[in-house]
Amino acid sequence: MFTGIQKLEKMLLVSVPSDLLDDDVIRMRRDILRAIREYDSDIVVLDFHLVDICDSFFGRFIYSTSKTVELMGARIIIAGLQDAVIETMVELGMTLPEVDVVIDLDEAMRLTRKRANGTSTDVITKIDEMANALSLEFDDNVFRA
Amino acid sequence: MSSELSVDEITAIETVNDVSAARRRGMTIALEMGFDRADATRIAVAISELARNIVVYANQGMIRITSDHNAEPPYIQVIASDNGPGIDDVDLAMTDHWTSSRGLGLGLSGSRRLMDDFNIETEVGRGTTITVTKWLK
Repeated sequence: MFTGIQKLEKMLLVSVPSDLLDDDVIRMRRDILRAIREYDSDIVVLDFHLVDICDSFFGRFIYSTSKTVELMGARIIIAGLQDAVIETMVELGMTLPEVDVVIDLDEAMRLTRKRANGTSTDVITKIDEMANALSLEFDDNVFRA
Repeated sequence: MSSELSVDEITAIETVNDVSAARRRGMTIALEMGFDRADATRIAVAISELARNIVVYANQGMIRITSDHNAEPPYIQVIASDNGPGIDDVDLAMTDHWTSSRGLGLGLSGSRRLMDDFNIETEVGRGTTITVTKWLK
């Protein structure tokens, strides 16, 4: 059992370990789906701040998990991607256009509350937009907080 | 100090655990050589893609990581080789999003973009050897 899942009201917070093996990735997805069903969660936040290598298998996992979670009536938010990981994902060609990305857990919480209140969701961005803003807005300390 | 940073290591690749070990080792070597975190990540991801191709298409092979810190400029080189089925149409295999397996189809084309130099030798029925290099800037 993958244990890095915590429930916070209608949100699931998933701490993604730094180096996942393929089997762990698949187990993690299964556990996320089980937890959504158990807690009737609306939002699944994947906290990536520990992840330093994201290859195309991992990218496919993010995309397919996001699609599966949508089918269960919830949404995925990716939080805390390291700047080196974002650069590499973009160069690899892995921009995940339909997956919501926020800079850190604070933004993920803010977005979750806004959605719960039915107000705007303007803090969402996409990985390629985030990469464009990288040099201006990324501060290493944000990811270590 | 720098002479210790010239390495020549071979990792046998048969399972996804080997893929993980090889990319982690590549990242460590790159950081020790003085590559910044972004370049070390590029190198690790390129190793991951190449090693995964070995597992998926050839079942087994090897990743050889060499580095020469005394070269001018210093570099890290990764050779991914297997005796698998080979690639019939290299141009097609190099196309973004073309895949014959469960990846995103970004392995070869992505590895080329992540590294400074990319070379592929392949023969159907004999195997594939891919050599990628990144120079320390």
